[in-house]
Amino acid sequence: MAFRVAKATVKAVLVYLLYFLVAPLILPMLTLVPGLVESIEFFVIVFVVLMVLSDLTERTIYHCFFNTARALFVIAYLAFSVRDGLFTTNVENISLTVNLTLFYTIAALLSLLELAKTVMQAINFMSERAETGIKP
Amino acid sequence: MNVPIRMLGIATTIFWVILAGFIASAGYSLKDLNFSIGEPQFTTTSDRDMVLSLPLYVFNGGFYSLKGFNLTTVFSDAEGAEVSRSSTFVPTIPHGQNTTILHNVTLNMDKLAENDEQYLFNDTSLNAEVTAGLNFAELLPVQLSTNFTFPWGAPLYDLTFGQPRFRSLSRSNAAVTVPISFENHAAFDLNGTIHANLYDKDGTLLAESQTPLDVSKGSSYAGNLDFAVPLNTASQASATGGHIELHFSTSMFEYGPVVMPIG
Repeated sequence: MAFRVAKATVKAVLVYLLYFLVAPLILPMLTLVPGLVESIEFFVIVFVVLMVLSDLTERTIYHCFFNTARALFVIAYLAFSVRDGLFTTNVENISLTVNLTLFYTIAALLSLLELAKTVMQAINFMSERAETGIKP
Repeated sequence: MNVPIRMLGIATTIFWVILAGFIASAGYSLKDLNFSIGEPQFTTTSDRDMVLSLPLYVFNGGFYSLKGFNLTTVFSDAEGAEVSRSSTFVPTIPHGQNTTILHNVTLNMDKLAENDEQYLFNDTSLNAEVTAGLNFAELLPVQLSTNFTFPWGAPLYDLTFGQPRFRSLSRSNAAVTVPISFENHAAFDLNGTIHANLYDKDGTLLAESQTPLDVSKGSSYAGNLDFAVPLNTASQASATGGHIELHFSTSMFEYGPVVMPIG
């Protein structure tokens, strides 16, 4: 259990560090769209929580549940935040529109790949448990 | 099955890292991207077009080239009717380089006067809609649009005629002089002629005159239209309400007739 906690902590710290380092770089782009920074913060928090829970419940069926939930959350977040894929913001009488459709498509496809992986993990876990006779 | 799952995990992680790296570098590149606009220049062409040249200076200090830069300017009148549409397309703005883009907006005076002759006589404004689009980092299409009003200076602002003056040239002939004045508020010099016809009350042409025109932008013009007419006819025209028709023939536009009653 101590190893799982340590692993979860290290991974959470790494993800947070990645966010902490990358966020200032893309901040000029993010501040153009109102509410985007808050939305991304919410995404990072939920993502890290699900990741930590998944690591803490490793070698149980809940590990697969949390992994699937995380993949589904990423897909849902992208689907809700994308809408038509266009981010439009107005500064005085200047209108700026950024078309993020292609970027979101790539991200959604990667998330689907992640979801497929978690489903395969669950199937593998259940089959291994069936072979060994241990209850999941 | 563990190996394929692990490989799938590694592959997705690599792709996520590449995507995150791309977003970070694209966002970081934005801060090294500078756009500035130079002083607009007005020129005229032999086709009677007024060309507004707007220099754009782009310094792309980011990591990625900007592709398909397209700048479109649409001028429309107060009723929303399109007066002019100009586009400038630059296929690539390479990274790490300064690029100067010259955006030319063409306004045809004949077309403007055809739409509404008030553009010749009254100062007004045109609505300008500017749209700029480009492909940032080859993945993110970005579009920027704005609109503003563009002040329009009339070339024949405050066109007025004075009282006709008559003077006898001989027993049978008289000279009719009509003072004319206006201000050239346009962004171009006015060179050409004023062709004037003097008619009596029945619409019969009595005399013609041609006056050269050379009025710099932003300056006033005050001149005379001189006609030589038979003495009795001149008196008759002034007394019984004849009229003068003016035709402007300049390097920028042809316009006429402007009808001025006399008498």
